[in-house]
Amino acid sequence: MKNLKVIWVVFLMLLLTLSACSNSESTSGSSDGKVNLTWWSHDGPTFVKANKKFIKDYEAANPNVKINLQIYPYDAFVQKLKAAYASKNPPDMAQVFGSWVPEYTKNDLLSPVPDEMKDWVKSGFYEPALGAYTHDEVPYGIPQEYNIENGGVLANPDMFKNAGLDYPKTWDELITDAQKLTVTQNGKIQVKGFDFVNYDNITFTFLSLILQQKGEYWTKDNQVNFSTPEAVKAMDELKKFVTDYKVTNLRDFGGKLDTSDLFFKNKAAMVIRGPWSIAEGKENYQFEKLDYIPMPSFTENPPYFAAESGWGEIVAKSSKHQEEAWKFIKYMTEKENAKYFNITTFTVPANKEAAQDPEFLKALPKMKASIDVLPYGMFIGIIDTDFLKKTINDNFQLIAADKVSVEDGLKKIETTINQMLNK
Amino acid sequence: MSSIPESTGTKTAIEIKGGKKRTQTQIKVQNRFIFFSLTPIMIVFIVFSAIPIVWGLVLSFYQYNPLQEHSPFIGLRNYMDLLKDDVFIKSFWNTFKFVIIAVPANIAITLMIAIGVNRIRNNMFRNLFRTIYFLPCIAPLAGSAVVWSTMFNKDTGLFNVLLNFLHMPGVDWLTDPSLAMYSVIAMTLWADMGFNIVLFMAGLDSIPKMFYEAAELDGANPWKRFWNITVPLLSRTTLFVTIMTCLAYFQMFPQFQILTNGEPQNETRVLALNIYDHAFTYMNMGYASAIASVLFVIILIITIIQLKLGKSQWEY
Repeated sequence: MKNLKVIWVVFLMLLLTLSACSNSESTSGSSDGKVNLTWWSHDGPTFVKANKKFIKDYEAANPNVKINLQIYPYDAFVQKLKAAYASKNPPDMAQVFGSWVPEYTKNDLLSPVPDEMKDWVKSGFYEPALGAYTHDEVPYGIPQEYNIENGGVLANPDMFKNAGLDYPKTWDELITDAQKLTVTQNGKIQVKGFDFVNYDNITFTFLSLILQQKGEYWTKDNQVNFSTPEAVKAMDELKKFVTDYKVTNLRDFGGKLDTSDLFFKNKAAMVIRGPWSIAEGKENYQFEKLDYIPMPSFTENPPYFAAESGWGEIVAKSSKHQEEAWKFIKYMTEKENAKYFNITTFTVPANKEAAQDPEFLKALPKMKASIDVLPYGMFIGIIDTDFLKKTINDNFQLIAADKVSVEDGLKKIETTINQMLNK
Repeated sequence: MSSIPESTGTKTAIEIKGGKKRTQTQIKVQNRFIFFSLTPIMIVFIVFSAIPIVWGLVLSFYQYNPLQEHSPFIGLRNYMDLLKDDVFIKSFWNTFKFVIIAVPANIAITLMIAIGVNRIRNNMFRNLFRTIYFLPCIAPLAGSAVVWSTMFNKDTGLFNVLLNFLHMPGVDWLTDPSLAMYSVIAMTLWADMGFNIVLFMAGLDSIPKMFYEAAELDGANPWKRFWNITVPLLSRTTLFVTIMTCLAYFQMFPQFQILTNGEPQNETRVLALNIYDHAFTYMNMGYASAIASVLFVIILIITIIQLKLGKSQWEY
């Protein structure tokens, strides 16, 4: 029995030691007189490069601050961040994707942008980029990226040249060109004339077609409404690309290849995709012979579109060094550093001054189509965009496969999303 | 002489007393041994099985999100929502479709292979074939799924290259809604056959040879021997294999996520994938727990039914 007691005592001491270790301060401190800030980010090489430069320059100018950058693979990062906040042990700062932020602001886990910076943030950054970082009109983060999936189309100049076509300027021309560029063999499409059937662009194209008819999809009581004539017309038009115009199909949806991959493999002549895909094509396929042309509007109205907020910076409410953290974030989101970040990471600036600086387009001329449409963007709304996209994609497939009518499919989307919003 | 029985009597009493003491000590030692040997496994079982199951059941009655300070109790609302959720209903039937097709196919194929391998007289070749069939089990299912996703590629994948070689058109193995589930089943069968082959071979080995010899003398043909001897005498192994395969297949996840991620048109979305998406993509842990509880109950009911139906009253 004595031995048993000894074993239990040792076991309890071990547990105590382990729990002491897990409760230890791991985020920040100032033991050597310096302010230590922990900053979490994902491991995208260009993002890491830009972030490291900011740290180096900032630490040189502020010797009392030490910034510890911790990088994680993208998928692990999302879960790790949630776990860190759930266990009340978050990093001082984190570079996050905008659509993740409402979950944190809703639960009062983030530090608001300091009062002296609020006006600068509200006026200096595009509204769609800031949308997800804002809660009850208070900004809780500063965006680095205007995440945009509309406005530009990857176009293969050789295919246009061989077909004797110019780039489309109107919606009708887009359809006509797409039909002429589509190559079909034994009833199967070999080269798609125009493709949007991927995880993101079904939703973003659908929403943009509603907005370009001056329609709306949000009601005043924060529910979605897809029963409007504009929504029906928008979905009907998207369906026609598969069933009537026959310039694309559902064969590649859910497969390993994105629509941009099909473009870079010369299996699509035009693909609507965000400008980030240009950098991907260059890196993965060494594909540079492309143009990024403006996407014509569906109507006479400007090319309105909906956008979710992209990458940006947040500070934990539980951080002991919120003031220092915000100072660093302000430093890296001001015009020059923002411009450097966006050029390095091939992202569209959320900072208006950086986006409007001619130097930006000089460095990344293919971004012109995206930069030109920025004023027409509006925030997609506070919603779980993964769930929104999944629901729209599921029903679009059924609509395009003629398994449900456009009206029934849209009603299903509306009901499912509102059910989720009401939870 | 008279002292002898007395002394013997005294000795016996002491011996009995000593014996009793020894027995008590032995029982104590045995109890201590049982306590020490069972404690770790019980702790592991309680921490990693019992508590999570109970915790999962409790969570299904809450609108739980780990980031929230307080999670509201919502009673049966998660379960009511399941009934209105088309994706859940689809994934429910998909899971059954997968199990109903894949489990019998697995049992039939593995039993045939086990019988075939068992007939090889040469021990070296027998072991070689057993090892070859077991090899896919060594690889993680996720790794095998990645390899198969390249073989299913409609342009450069092995299967379509072979079809094209035979002047046949390629097939959309993973993106055709009517085919995708069968492609995943084919991959699963390949990856998962090894265990059951080994189990069936062990079961076949344990059937006494005399039954076959007697049947042969009576003039029974191979089919009759298989049907009247192998099948009934292998029923315990078959029951075990069926239960274990069913349990595993109801919970299958990695190949569905890697090969199709539930697409096309949710035709390959199974309950385990649905649980994952609600828990970790949409952060709706309460709802995910409700789906997990439904899956738990399904597995429990099916296992009980199988155990009842498969009770065998014989021995040899």
